[in-house]
Amino acid sequence: MLQVALSQLKTHSRRFIAITLAVLLAVAFLSATLMVNASTGASLKASIGQAYAKADLVASSSYDDPLTTAHAASVAASPLVAESYAQQSTYLQAGLGSTTLGATLRNMPADPSLEPVALISGAWPGNDQEVAVDAITADRKKLSVGSKVTFTGEPTATAAIPTLTATVSGITAASADPVSSGMAQFVGTEAAVGKLSSPDAGFSTISVLLKDGVSLADAKAALATAVGQPVEKILTADEKTTQMVSSLTGGQDQLTIVLLAFAGVALLVAALVVSNTFSVLVAQRTRELALLRCVGASRNQVRNSVIVEALIVGFVASVLGVLAATGTMALVLTLLSQNPDFAFATLAVPPSAIIASMVVGTLLTVLASLVPARAATAVAPLAALRPAEDASVHNAGGRLRLSIGVLLLLAGGAGLVYGGISANLLIALPAGAASFVGFLMAATLFVPKLVSLAGTLARPAGVPGKMAAANAVRNPRRTTATASALLIGVTLVTMMMTGAATARSAFDTELDGSYPVDLQVSSLPGDTRIPDSAVAKAAALPGVKHIARLELVGTMEAGGQALDVYGISDADALTVLANPANRPGPTSAVIPKSIKVDSGSVVAGTLSTNVTATPATTDGYSALVSLDTFAPLPAADPLYKETGAPLWISVDESLDANALLDLRTALTGALNVSEYRVDGAVLEKVMFNKVIDMLLLVVTGLLAVAVFIALIGVANTLSLSVLERTRENSLLRALGLTRGQLRGMLALEAVLIAGVAAIIGSVLGAVYGWAGAQSALGSFADVTAVIPWGQILAVVVVAAVAGLLASVVPAHRAAKLSPVAGLAMD
Amino acid sequence: MTITTENIQRTMAVQARGLRKTYGKGETEVTALKGVDLDFPAGQFTAIMGPSGSGKSTLMHCLAGLDSVTGGTIHLGDTELTSLNDKALTQLRRDRIGFVFQAFNLVPTLTAEANITLPVALAGGTVDKEWFTFITKTLGLVDRLAHKPHELSGGQQQRVAVARALLTRPDVIFGDEPTGNLDSRSGAEVLGMLRRSSREMGQSIIMVTHDPVAASYADRVVLMNDGALVGTLDNPTAESVLASLASLGA
Repeated sequence: MLQVALSQLKTHSRRFIAITLAVLLAVAFLSATLMVNASTGASLKASIGQAYAKADLVASSSYDDPLTTAHAASVAASPLVAESYAQQSTYLQAGLGSTTLGATLRNMPADPSLEPVALISGAWPGNDQEVAVDAITADRKKLSVGSKVTFTGEPTATAAIPTLTATVSGITAASADPVSSGMAQFVGTEAAVGKLSSPDAGFSTISVLLKDGVSLADAKAALATAVGQPVEKILTADEKTTQMVSSLTGGQDQLTIVLLAFAGVALLVAALVVSNTFSVLVAQRTRELALLRCVGASRNQVRNSVIVEALIVGFVASVLGVLAATGTMALVLTLLSQNPDFAFATLAVPPSAIIASMVVGTLLTVLASLVPARAATAVAPLAALRPAEDASVHNAGGRLRLSIGVLLLLAGGAGLVYGGISANLLIALPAGAASFVGFLMAATLFVPKLVSLAGTLARPAGVPGKMAAANAVRNPRRTTATASALLIGVTLVTMMMTGAATARSAFDTELDGSYPVDLQVSSLPGDTRIPDSAVAKAAALPGVKHIARLELVGTMEAGGQALDVYGISDADALTVLANPANRPGPTSAVIPKSIKVDSGSVVAGTLSTNVTATPATTDGYSALVSLDTFAPLPAADPLYKETGAPLWISVDESLDANALLDLRTALTGALNVSEYRVDGAVLEKVMFNKVIDMLLLVVTGLLAVAVFIALIGVANTLSLSVLERTRENSLLRALGLTRGQLRGMLALEAVLIAGVAAIIGSVLGAVYGWAGAQSALGSFADVTAVIPWGQILAVVVVAAVAGLLASVVPAHRAAKLSPVAGLAMD
Repeated sequence: MTITTENIQRTMAVQARGLRKTYGKGETEVTALKGVDLDFPAGQFTAIMGPSGSGKSTLMHCLAGLDSVTGGTIHLGDTELTSLNDKALTQLRRDRIGFVFQAFNLVPTLTAEANITLPVALAGGTVDKEWFTFITKTLGLVDRLAHKPHELSGGQQQRVAVARALLTRPDVIFGDEPTGNLDSRSGAEVLGMLRRSSREMGQSIIMVTHDPVAASYADRVVLMNDGALVGTLDNPTAESVLASLASLGA
């Protein structure tokens, strides 16, 4: 039977292209995910390991166990130690003429054999007036041997801020250590470092080179005694590196899990495509299988021949998938390592990425072929003697599957509603997943009916339309499986879109409640008053509706807090406030939302005025009164000098994210203030939206793989169906169906299936997205379902058009065949 | 090939007793076989003839273990067929029965040689090389063995099917209109081969046909009408078969 399976693969290799591609993509995804994880680890290891690469053993300091000068001396004195290097790094400012950089200054070891970085040019520092600098910094800042650098250390409680001017004596290679890469790295003598750091700073690590023939265990024990630490804390260079990598990659595992979830979706869709393709292949081979049964093939042999085909295809596709993933990763990392900051990027292909991906890919293909393989055994030998007919394969387990599916759908749906109402994501997530699995299992109940309902729309297209509608549901199982593959991707994409839109609106509502105005320019103690001419310039900027200046009028005691009281003119308040209800009246003050008092008195100098107090509806208020009844403090008042005067700005609602960011830049320019002083609800919204958009883009990109696989499935099913209907299509052609009509008929069929899958998927996705946002955010924000109609419509249109494209090749092949040749075909 | 004339006379290849077959239930019940008793001597080439709907195809399907019976017994040599399960029937077909169908005899993806040796391969056995060479030479297939079915003419395809049927030295070969799709010259060639294998190799053959010329190649013709046996003709000619059919009013 192996021979039969092999001959099938060889003769009909084209029919397996689609499955191979589907499995290949899914396996490549999985494999690449595993490689990303391993490569991150390897890259870190390569970069961190550099610091200890030359040492035999490393003792590290910790908060509880600092490494002191006494420890260093005791290590150096140990008879087992050949060389030791007590390393100390200090963070400081390096002044280079007019600019200042954040930098590290590290002491160099007494013995150059323990120096982690290589000297490129010049010499190692010979005294405390000399330093070496890394090549990247030297290049960026145009430093060369002989350049002067002025270091400024951390201020200490006891002494003056330490400074040191040194001459660059040499250029070193840049350390790839991610902790210090990106900073300017200087190396100096121990004396130089000592001058710039506090005397009790201690050492970060002590690395040692052992004398020849010393056992590692003895050395560890001796070192542990010398530094007063337990022996487990003394690590070899490898152990130290591994420890640091794992402490740095804690978050990496999360990313891997998320990526693996998407790889899982792609694999699931690929499994559906494989299963469906094999079902079609088995149905097409009915007569052949029956003939095999006639000449003596047992049921097991027939089943095994299908499984062997799947095994071979799955294995080949998995190998190709792993190769594709390796190639892609190698390319990406090569490009990445061109960037000096990522020079340490290292490709790691862990055995798990290869073995696990190949096992998963092969196993998935085989498992997906089990149901079709079982269907193959149901072919009666007598079928070889009957004229070819549509083989409809009935599955005894179908009813059970439907019942379980409906049950899961109902139970999961109920759980999802409960999770949404109680805003509990931990309940909603599994319940939603269960209901979706249930829906897929029970999909044969709805999908064919909906496709045939949609088919009535194709009626006006005449005979081709009617035929397309009939053909689309001719084999309900096949239609369902094809649609399901696409439906999964569309559901997830729409879910993300709806979730994002809903979350965005919830965040917007929250942010609107956090700021009194669109934008504000805050004032800090010691600020000088922004000149009126600058404010006028800013007010004239396009996009700015109105600028109001708040004047300090005094202070107010409320709820145990001393509040600065600002005044705003009635006219300004009306135009600039996001919520005009927060306008102060002639004898009232608007106070922060959190303070619950009814009245208070505004104190200005010696003057005290009683006012009624109204809590604001949003955050971000100090105390606000009307300038029509209160006078600003005179410029001579001491309070005034301390706080300056903030500006409140309202902007055009039509501004988009980029326009807002541009406006901020324009405002900082016009007002001559730093960027961080300009903030407000609209800017925060822009930031949140940027994050949400980026996430949505990434997620959609990841899901696109699954959708693409599903579309391969649509094209494949259609082309196999066309093959199956060669005779029938030829008969229609002989009876007068034109080529164009035939093409149109097949295109309509594909569009019907893809369109219905997309529509069902979007409806499901919208529901899941809203339920998800409700259960995730419901506990701290008002969540209103927001359906991104435009995006969803785009998804449906893309799916339908992709379905149309998927029909092009099969339709072309069908139309190319002359009616006579098609009818003669057996 | 050492089968003697005595052996042939004594044993029966296939025996049917009281064979009944009905389709459907209640009002829609159709009786295809109404109690057929029939013996097929070993080494003989028998043709089953009858008009459409006479039950001749059903009879063959039942005799070959492809279809279940409603009543009666079938013996293939010593083995009683009607009580066998699917697995046993499969093995029986593989080892003791050969088939030549009207069309779609061959697995399209396999070469002629692979098609011929398929039953042996399915059984996991080894091909009797000498016998294989003898059969393929006799059937004139030696230079066609590497071809796929679609590269062969209709007559050649049927000869490959005959070779496959002969290779396992089955107790009996069943032919279902084996020349129905062939032109008369190719048909004559295939029928000649079947007759030779019966005469020279002692192969028992049972063939269903509605072509009097095809039937005339057989040693004996069994005539059926309306689900029952209505007569036999020994050493038939096309004319005698035609006359007998005419007497049935077919």
